[in-house]
Amino acid sequence: MKRLTVLLISLFLAASAIAADPTIEEIVNRANLATYYQGKDGRAHVKMTITDSQGRKRMRKLTILRWDQPDTDELENGAYRGKQKFYVYFSRPADVNKMVFLVWKNLDKDDDRWLYLPALDLVKRIAASDKRTSFVGSDFFYEDVSGRDIDEDEHELLKTTDKYFVIKNTPKDPSSVEFAYYMMYIHKKTFLPIQVEYYDAQDKKYRVAKALKVENIQGHPTVTKASMESLNQGSKTVMEYSSVKYDTGIPEDIFTERYLRKPPRKYLK
Amino acid sequence: MSSKKSSWLIDWAVARPRFFTWLMVFSTFLLIILAAVPSIWPEKVPALHSIEVDTDPENMLPADEPVRLFHNAAKKEFSLNDIVVVGIVNDKHPEGVFNPESLQRVYDLTEFAKTLQWSDKEGKHGVVEIDIIAPSTVDNIEQGGMGVVNFSWLMPRPPKTQEEALSIRERAMNIPFLKGTMVSEDGKALAIYLPLVSKHDSYEVRKALLGFIKEWDGDEQVHITGLPVAEDTFGVEMFTQMAISAPLAMLVIFVLLWWFFRNLTLIVSPMIVAMVSALSTMALLVITGNTIHIMSSMIPIFIMPIAVLDSIHILSEFFDRYPQIRDRKKTIIEVMKHLFTPMLFTSVTTMAGFASLALTPIPPVQVFGIFVAIGVFLAWFWTIVFIPAYVMLMPEAKLEGFGQSVSDSGDTTGMAKFLHGLGKWTHDHPKTVLAVTFLCVLISVYGISRIQINDNPIKWFEPDHPIRVADKILNEHFGGTYIAYLQYEADDKGLSVDSYITELEQRLEQWKAQVLADEYAQVEAVYTKAVQLMKETQAESIEDYLSKLQGRVNDLMDHASDEEYDTWSELALFFDREDQRNEVFKQPEVLRYLSRLQDFLLQTGVVGKVNALPDIIKTVHRELFLGDADHFRIPDSVNGVAQTLITYQNSHRPQDLWHFVTPDYKKSNLMLQLTSGDNKDMEKVIAAVADFEEQNPPPMALKSNWFGLTYINVIWQDHMVQGMLKSFMGSFVIVLLMMVFLFRSALFGILSMIPLTVTVGLIYGVIGLIGKDYDMPVAVLSALSLGLAIDYAIHFLARSREAVRETGNWHNAVDVVFGEPARAITRNVIILGAGFLPLLAAPLVPYQTVGFFIASILVCAGIATLLILPSAMTLLEKYLFRGELS
Repeated sequence: MKRLTVLLISLFLAASAIAADPTIEEIVNRANLATYYQGKDGRAHVKMTITDSQGRKRMRKLTILRWDQPDTDELENGAYRGKQKFYVYFSRPADVNKMVFLVWKNLDKDDDRWLYLPALDLVKRIAASDKRTSFVGSDFFYEDVSGRDIDEDEHELLKTTDKYFVIKNTPKDPSSVEFAYYMMYIHKKTFLPIQVEYYDAQDKKYRVAKALKVENIQGHPTVTKASMESLNQGSKTVMEYSSVKYDTGIPEDIFTERYLRKPPRKYLK
Repeated sequence: MSSKKSSWLIDWAVARPRFFTWLMVFSTFLLIILAAVPSIWPEKVPALHSIEVDTDPENMLPADEPVRLFHNAAKKEFSLNDIVVVGIVNDKHPEGVFNPESLQRVYDLTEFAKTLQWSDKEGKHGVVEIDIIAPSTVDNIEQGGMGVVNFSWLMPRPPKTQEEALSIRERAMNIPFLKGTMVSEDGKALAIYLPLVSKHDSYEVRKALLGFIKEWDGDEQVHITGLPVAEDTFGVEMFTQMAISAPLAMLVIFVLLWWFFRNLTLIVSPMIVAMVSALSTMALLVITGNTIHIMSSMIPIFIMPIAVLDSIHILSEFFDRYPQIRDRKKTIIEVMKHLFTPMLFTSVTTMAGFASLALTPIPPVQVFGIFVAIGVFLAWFWTIVFIPAYVMLMPEAKLEGFGQSVSDSGDTTGMAKFLHGLGKWTHDHPKTVLAVTFLCVLISVYGISRIQINDNPIKWFEPDHPIRVADKILNEHFGGTYIAYLQYEADDKGLSVDSYITELEQRLEQWKAQVLADEYAQVEAVYTKAVQLMKETQAESIEDYLSKLQGRVNDLMDHASDEEYDTWSELALFFDREDQRNEVFKQPEVLRYLSRLQDFLLQTGVVGKVNALPDIIKTVHRELFLGDADHFRIPDSVNGVAQTLITYQNSHRPQDLWHFVTPDYKKSNLMLQLTSGDNKDMEKVIAAVADFEEQNPPPMALKSNWFGLTYINVIWQDHMVQGMLKSFMGSFVIVLLMMVFLFRSALFGILSMIPLTVTVGLIYGVIGLIGKDYDMPVAVLSALSLGLAIDYAIHFLARSREAVRETGNWHNAVDVVFGEPARAITRNVIILGAGFLPLLAAPLVPYQTVGFFIASILVCAGIATLLILPSAMTLLEKYLFRGELS
């Protein structure tokens, strides 16, 4: 009985430490951290299935490597945020095997991007373009994969349900995006956005992202299956993550032009 | 010629006039109520059909026609919707619409068009937002440095300066997909394409757009076109036609009857018969669930003049006899019995002529033919029972003086004198008449040989109609607004699994050599295992075989040692590549073939633009190489193509790709823009493609199929031409047999067919000579006119026989025949000729064509009857009247 009381109290304390009415900034930052910045680095195999309105499926397989500049996951002063690098290696369909997409995500300026097309032997650093274009033909946008900078939107906590914080995000520069606003349902415990809904200027919902499966990996609640639906098109993309691993110790120099032509097999397996 | 069977019906009608009058009134009202109630309150009587309008040219073919099924399936497969095209032209500004003010309006219009979506219980309606083609909704494809293509909205917001406006044009003109489609070739005009969920939404969409642009005060002209719009407009005009032409025909007939008979009370009776027949038939059409279509909307105007024909014979004879008999009952009975058989036969032949249209494979034409036949039957029946009843119900006083003015001096009117003269002249100059007839036949044969079969639904509108105007302007500026699709797919030769495995073994050996060269580890072991796996795997199809093999390889790879792993991974890749071998539309040589076909099509002179998969690949490839024009080509390898395509899919609109190829890359679709919707031009393109395929065998076995409305029009035209020929031959034979039976003489039967055969031949000869296209309305004419034109011959020959029997020889009979019978025939010619002319007042060209030609045929057939038949009888007297003279 005594032990149970202690357990209950400690649980209560643990819960209240987070749930004691976090500020909107805290919620947004925790969600940002949980989604994009967990661990020092990360690796995941991704199987992407695009299903169109006629039920036709297309499949892509890729491996994503991530490297974070900050050594910490501390929220304090946004310490967890910082420069990030992504190495996206495509293995299927067979005819795009070895295609690589490299991104340096910068906080204070536009991202740097590289694309390597092995069949055309083309590789060159490129200027950033619109980030809200399709990611290799899927319903996800580039920005969904690399993460939208939280400073680009105004955030408003609309309500708190027993499970979620419901947050409305309105772009500071409406002309740069196709949405009028988006709603995020952020899970109170894990701070993972479980559902994100995009609305157009007519208040019509046209795009929905969902976390379909969450697993605890190395202590990090991690979305291992996610979907994005384009309601106007009737298409849907599901991304399944496997072999997810944090803190693999990928060296920063993998994320350079040199490795586009010479994929780092060791880290991709 | 009177029939005994007929007498009871006529006696009865004369004896019980009120009963038949009420029967007619009651049955007509009942039919009208049955049709009107469900049309006005459809929810209250769901079991009954309400009035339905069908303006869809696709319905010229039956719903289960293979061409249509393929069309619908392909449209769905490539996510193609019917499109409203909004053309924006600015003649005042030197740069056309490419100035900040115009582009601001274009932007606003696009934003407005995006909102044109609504839902009801059937689901979504309106504009398909994601597929709108407009400057603010399409991507600019532009190099962003070596090896990269940037996708940014072409016009994310309206330009502020003239320079910005011009740069939007410059960028768009560099993208083949947009040049000639969205931006005009001359760079002055823009076209916005609004795909619709259903083409039936076009009326609402167009109305909303017109409302929106009404408030513009700029110099831009906006033209809204596209087939859905044309169809909806067509529906409205169809009712205008019925509202104008049908009452006008009534008026014309009424005036003519008044001119013939000068008795208002009496001539009301045929008018009633005409009204009753037309209304009952239309009511029946609605009740039976048939639609108001371009053909069926002409039913009333066909029935009305035909409905009064029998009455005219009755009244003509009544007019002549009444002053002598002076008893309406006796007169009407005598007249009815005398005319019963010819009226029956003329009605049956007319019905046969129209009903023969049921032999055509075009459903709307079938419906038209059958319902006009029903209407003719109703008109005959009500004429037989109601006209005598009406005469009996008339106060005798109203008949006072009827026929009196002319009975004493019966043959002194202009028409009578002329006809007498004509009769005498034909009797004196039979050989001249026949020589001229023969000449006409020769001219006809020559003319018919020059007939051009062609149609174009847009040309169903008059040249100054806003739709024709929009169509003309947009086709001058753009690559063409008439769309046809050409689909290619791999023609699976049915390679057997065994021979595939043999090929696969060879390729596996090549793979081995490659990975050995690349210094992979444990190649021999993995290769041996692979060969073993291939031997063990059993499958029904190649696909099945590969998928089983892939499963096994993936399993083994997952459990492979670190040393072997990379080699297994390469092996898995090898089999996955095998799987992609049937993605034919990623093969460079196939794409180059399509590209050559595209170039070839542009040389036909009819195709203004072809959008297809090679354009997308070439454009992206060029931009990957810094926009260098030399790289506007298909990459050399499958992987190069695939990687170019995946680059394209990083755009705002990756789904655009699936309009041109299926995601499995087994089918590809070329979108042809034709500047003309003429069927003959479409046929030219079809023939050109067939030629090209024959002279340039594709690098892989491919088969092609056409679809799209422009193509469908050609198909139903073909059906129409063949169907009409069949229908005409069918009704010709039936009518001929009926004539032989009626006259109990093969010679009389053949003779009766001559005037109308000469006439139909002559009219078609003239159509060929003046270069008028043989189109849908012209095609239906022949069968229609046959059943009507024979009527004159029936009356003429029946009366001639009778007259010969009474007067002893043809010489004496000529005078009699060219008396009352010839007058009745002439009156019918005038009524029919004039009765169809109100179609000329209709706002749609097919109605005018039908009106003009059918009037011509009927007038010509009347003249031919009155000239050829007496001439022939003069020459053939001995053979023809053997029975009468013996």
